[in-house]
Amino acid sequence: MKTIYINNNKYNFEGEPTILEVVREKAGDIIPVICHHNTLEPHGSCRICSVDVALQKDGPRKVMASCHTPASDGMHIFTDSERVVKLRKNIAELVLSDYPEDKTEAAKNKLPTEFQRLLERLGVYKTRYNAKETHTDQEKDTLHPYIKSDLSQCIRCYRCVRACDEIQGKFILNIYGRGYDNRIIKDSDSSFTDSECVSCGACVQACPTGAIYDLYESKIQPYDKIVHTVCTYCGVGCNLEVRVKDGKIMGIEAPDDAEVNAAHTCIKGRYAFEFYNHPDRLTTPLIKKNGRQVPVSWDEAYDHIANKLNKIKEQYGPDAIGGISSSRCTNEENYLMQKFMRAVVGTNNIDGCARVCHAPTAYGMQKAFGTGAATNSITDLEHTDCILVIGANPTSAHPVTGSKIKQQAMKGKTLIVIDPVKTELAEIADYHLQLRPGTNIALLNMFAYYLIKNDLLDHEFIKNRTTGFEEFKEQILKVNIDEYERITTVDKHLVEKAAEAFAKAGNAMSFHGLGVTEHYTGSRTVMLLANISMFTGNIGRKGVGVNPLRGQNNVQGAADMGVQPHQGAGYLDVNDPEIQKYYKEKYGIETIPEKEGLKIPEMFDGAINKTVKAMWIMGEDVMQTDPNTQHVRKALEGLDFLVVQELFPTETSKMADVVLPAASFFEKEGTFTNGERRIQKVNKVVEPIEGTKADGQIMVDIMNRMGYPQKGYSADVLLREIADVVPFFAGVTWENLGTNGLQWPVTKDGKDTKILHSKEFKIGKGQIHFFDFEETPELIDNRDKYPFILTTGRNLEHYNSGTMTRRTPNKDVLTEDNLWINPADAKKKGIKTGDRVRLISARGETYIKAFVTDKVKEGVLRSTFHFPEVSINNLTGDIGDIETLTPEYKVVAVDVVAGG
Amino acid sequence: MAKDKKQIRIALRNCGFINPENIDEYIARDGYQALGKALEMTPEEVIDEIKKSGLRGRGGGGFPTGLKWELTRKVEAEQKYVVCNADEGDPGAFMDRSILEGDPHTVLEAMAINGYCTGASKGLIYIRAEYPLAIERLKIAIGQAREYGLLGDKIFGKDFSFDIELRYGAGAFVCGEETALIHSMEGLRGEPTVKPPFPSESGYKGAPTNVNNVETYANIPVILLKGSGWFASIGTEKSKGTKVFALAGKVNNVGLIEVPMGTTLREVIFDIGGGIKSGKKFKAVQTGGPSGGCLTEKHLDIPIDYDNLIASGSMMGSGGMIVMDEDDCMVSVAKFYLDFTVEESCGKCAPCRLGNKRLYEILDTITQGKGTEDDLFKLRNLGNVIKDTSLCGLGQTSPNPVLSTMENFYDEYLAHVKDHKCPAGQCKALMSYIINPDACVGCTLCARVCPVDAISGEKKMPHVIDQSICIKCGACFEKCKFGAIFIE
Ligand SMILES: Cc1cc2nc3c(=O)[nH]c(=O)nc-3n(C[C@H](O)[C@H](O)[C@H](O)COP(=O)(O)O)c2cc1C
Ligand code: SF4
Ligand code: SF4
Ligand code: SF4
Ligand code: SF4
Ligand code: SF4
Ligand code: FES
Repeated sequence: MKTIYINNNKYNFEGEPTILEVVREKAGDIIPVICHHNTLEPHGSCRICSVDVALQKDGPRKVMASCHTPASDGMHIFTDSERVVKLRKNIAELVLSDYPEDKTEAAKNKLPTEFQRLLERLGVYKTRYNAKETHTDQEKDTLHPYIKSDLSQCIRCYRCVRACDEIQGKFILNIYGRGYDNRIIKDSDSSFTDSECVSCGACVQACPTGAIYDLYESKIQPYDKIVHTVCTYCGVGCNLEVRVKDGKIMGIEAPDDAEVNAAHTCIKGRYAFEFYNHPDRLTTPLIKKNGRQVPVSWDEAYDHIANKLNKIKEQYGPDAIGGISSSRCTNEENYLMQKFMRAVVGTNNIDGCARVCHAPTAYGMQKAFGTGAATNSITDLEHTDCILVIGANPTSAHPVTGSKIKQQAMKGKTLIVIDPVKTELAEIADYHLQLRPGTNIALLNMFAYYLIKNDLLDHEFIKNRTTGFEEFKEQILKVNIDEYERITTVDKHLVEKAAEAFAKAGNAMSFHGLGVTEHYTGSRTVMLLANISMFTGNIGRKGVGVNPLRGQNNVQGAADMGVQPHQGAGYLDVNDPEIQKYYKEKYGIETIPEKEGLKIPEMFDGAINKTVKAMWIMGEDVMQTDPNTQHVRKALEGLDFLVVQELFPTETSKMADVVLPAASFFEKEGTFTNGERRIQKVNKVVEPIEGTKADGQIMVDIMNRMGYPQKGYSADVLLREIADVVPFFAGVTWENLGTNGLQWPVTKDGKDTKILHSKEFKIGKGQIHFFDFEETPELIDNRDKYPFILTTGRNLEHYNSGTMTRRTPNKDVLTEDNLWINPADAKKKGIKTGDRVRLISARGETYIKAFVTDKVKEGVLRSTFHFPEVSINNLTGDIGDIETLTPEYKVVAVDVVAGG
Repeated sequence: MAKDKKQIRIALRNCGFINPENIDEYIARDGYQALGKALEMTPEEVIDEIKKSGLRGRGGGGFPTGLKWELTRKVEAEQKYVVCNADEGDPGAFMDRSILEGDPHTVLEAMAINGYCTGASKGLIYIRAEYPLAIERLKIAIGQAREYGLLGDKIFGKDFSFDIELRYGAGAFVCGEETALIHSMEGLRGEPTVKPPFPSESGYKGAPTNVNNVETYANIPVILLKGSGWFASIGTEKSKGTKVFALAGKVNNVGLIEVPMGTTLREVIFDIGGGIKSGKKFKAVQTGGPSGGCLTEKHLDIPIDYDNLIASGSMMGSGGMIVMDEDDCMVSVAKFYLDFTVEESCGKCAPCRLGNKRLYEILDTITQGKGTEDDLFKLRNLGNVIKDTSLCGLGQTSPNPVLSTMENFYDEYLAHVKDHKCPAGQCKALMSYIINPDACVGCTLCARVCPVDAISGEKKMPHVIDQSICIKCGACFEKCKFGAIFIE
């Protein structure tokens, strides 16, 4: 316990805080600062935070900058002695000597900037130090759709530079020149547009003046309220602070104290919000009459749906109806959707987009550990020594997590990347195992082989906490490692070294994405990944574990809520009689469907062979995002009745018999569960635009219409119901979620869980499985005719099929999809960057612009799928994960031809 | 080398006496014996010797060297570094260069001893690229030392390995500041960062790093061979040993001198330096490099050491010493130094980046004859703000030339702003060339040389200078054969 005297008041403190930290904690915000920011490392450049310090009572006083000087025992701090007050004013005057005179107070109808507020606090508006030479005539940089600068207002606090370095990890902003003439530049003195800037806005949020600002001037917009909510664009689950005035969104910032994303978002979360009141929004229910969709009232639409569904149910039985729920919707809505299908329609034919992404994760991790969710938290990155990223490109697809991984790698933590593409992380990785797409199993087996062969194992852990090791060992030692080397095209010695680094790190943590799951052997890869962590004892404490990077924002939640044909809310098996009884009681119904339902591909097959007659699709554009578009079209055309809930007209909604206009996440309340099992509050930011309803309200309405009494849509009420049904939600209430949410399982007393499996697995012992490499039929069948392997991925700027992001200025940041091709292949095929090329697979063809790069190896092509003009899914096939049918987006046999 | 009375050579003991490119000559003068001796002792014992000697850092800060070694030793780490600061950015200073050129092995030997004491196996010499001869000699010396097994693995057959590499500085003054120096070696922007953490905890690549100056190192072998007691017997109570100065300016003997701490300025300037040139009057002496202060007559008898210099408003710095005579204008002198600090400020912190520029501009205004008394107030005020609040040593000391000249020569400032006169006759804008009508014979010579036609008058009649046109080039003054033109 140490003592400190702040303006002669005595306080005790502990640890090693700075003077500023102690003073803020004990005496509040009594020291002004400007270069300092809580989310950045202390920098000490503005000196505004100077205080008088005596090392003992009545000792000589010295001026010290409080933001970086450590507090020490017995210090006497004077925060507003005459001297420091004068010093601060003088510094402010110095700053004003090279600052535009007309920017010392807030602009008309705008709020003051942080610097303007500082001037007011210090009572300084003018300077006595007139400058002969100033820098207040800098050229503005306003070409970028979002991020802009007017560096005449720059006060050289370097917060922007530090934000880009420390938060985003992009190193776009730099200081050019020295001394009085130094200035902020982008890359090597270019513009935001020409730099590698990823438009995360961290610099904007950090800048205390108007020198770096955004399109919306987010920080100085007056507002009626600031609403805290959660981003809808990916499984990171960034918290957002949305400024609202007159029912309109004025700008978005990241809360400085968010556990998930302090002061950080990516371009999508911060800027891609303008879709919410885009004129394209659907605003009235539509019913297809004589081949045309015509506007109708909600009542008419509901009646029509209820009639139709009841009829089909009577005639063909409930299993002729299928539902697809949405991972973009809230937990409450997903819960309602599956409850509607199960309790009201009476079928287990309910599935979600996890089918096309992370179903293998849920399946594989349940097999290995008993729980299909991330074992740890993202904050654990600070405690890990080695990061393994496999089949994931987080700097694009999960940008905020990607940045955190990058930061840790740059701090010297070991980074291993297993990916066919030289991703941004691969570029800085200690080991990049650039394997041929589709060979994850072979590679992970090589990894495991070296762990075992070189005895890099945690024997204690293996013995006490796992079963199946001996069998695995016997099998793996039999494999032909040179054959694996040939298959994967990865140098076995490199794999050996990476395995050693992973095993020898104190704590090693793995992250995986769709590059693991969207394969023929996706579920098996997940199980092999689990093996590696168990072999090395990297389970059950901080900084370790197996951590899926969830695709859509609420994939985790949708699965938790029972959006899958074989398990209901809380992952309880639908074919277990005990469970059936449980659900009947909870839902207050007499009968419940007993056999497992259909997975999405099975529903489509059913539609084509007429066993499935009706489908209800909530917020998914399956025509765009599901593989083999022609097949999907045929399926939807084969249905008697299709209901689609959507924000915008989509390829899928165009085929619907009834279209229901839904509300966006800004217009409703509920919860999302991010990739680290964190249940977070989604608050209503604005009222739903006229004519639309929250998806959850629609479900409630239709349930009531079809005779099931369901209480009105309110997050609070529904969470109570969910907590009653889903065991690991037991202690969740709307109130106790707070701003940072809770990580499930949440026990009755409201305690959450940061780390899973710390003592034992849900299934007792961890299961070790062995699988040998199996080539995907896609290649076996097609590679002779289609010798290239196409693998698909996402870009940072767009979200899936882009229905939302393409309706925001993001479209100006990234304007089209492109195809990466290795220079050697390009040369052989006569292709140059910018050429339009034809891509052909066994299913179909499409045209796309080529980009020649060595980020892919020879024989491998990579493309995105955000723009409908390039329907990549015309090419993708019907092969899916052996266990879960998740489509194999990551391996498509294609050929590429120059000339469009 | 200036005259040898009152001087003692410790740091410069070998300079000029050995062939610096021949290790044998160094060895013949007891070279590497201190290292051998140190390796027979425990690191703690060696550090204790250095502590007892009272040696303080010669790079300017005056931090006790033994204590610094001990701090670095105490931090636990697999890898540590020993750095030699050979950046020597003070204009006019060349003591470090002289040592490196004349006696490179002494630095290598001392660094090895330092490595042994602190637990570092790697030494780095950060040397400015503008010192090609020193670099060449260091390279040769390192090569020879490696050949002799005095650097490398198992030195003297002991379980101690140490090697040295060179790193080159691009010549920014602030890169001599230790944290900036470390960043520069790491390939980052050469600007200081806040301390703590001190380099001894977290320096080069985050490893504990001991930074010492060239001259500091040059003292180490002697201390170990002759004993801390001998070293501590030289100097003043708190400053032991000798200090090398680069004596320059208006004295008769300029050059490097090495004198015991405690020698007075008078002894240095008048005995060793041989007094002021051309019989002019001594006016001031600037010590401590570009951000040292100007001391006057009244300071001449103060014994030179770290603490006395600071108490007098100046500092030891790295040992620059520039003598000024009655012809020097103190406002211009302050402006000259400010010009340097404005150029050399890294620009990281607001007081130094903005404040020094404003100081310079005000001084410029004053020397232009446009200053006011309010400007003097601003100078003092700003000077103190910069001094009190700047992040690193550069800013914390940069106002010294202004503050000390204002302290000691306030009247001269007043003359500039109130009477718009420069008593030393240096500030051109404040001078007027005037023709004495009684002496002028009207030869028209001056009118013909004036480049701006400021002089008018009939032939054989006294001429006059139109002050509003005159650009003070002095051409007429030079030309006039009758001494009719004078300066006011
Ligand atoms: C602006 C500035 C410039 C400096 N330049 C030098 C230099 O050129 N050489 C040097 O040895 N120390 C220089 N120093 C001092 C170093 O920061 C550091 O204190 C010194 O190298 C430590 O060595 P010592 O303890 O042996 O003196 C400078 C300090 C500042 C603030
Ligand atoms: S927007 Fe993000 S990436 Fe771009 S410069 Fe700012 S901090 Fe860096
Ligand atoms: S642009 Fe903004 S954040 Fe960056 S240095 Fe200037 S004022 Fe500070
Ligand atoms: S898309 Fe993902 S990373 Fe980007 S702001 Fe939203 S939640 Fe965060
Ligand atoms: S005092 Fe000057 S040189 Fe030192 S950090 Fe500040 S700006 Fe840079
Ligand atoms: S000083 Fe020069 S400009 Fe002035 S009068 Fe004489 S010659 Fe002309
Ligand atoms: S807030 Fe401490 S130096 Fe800027």
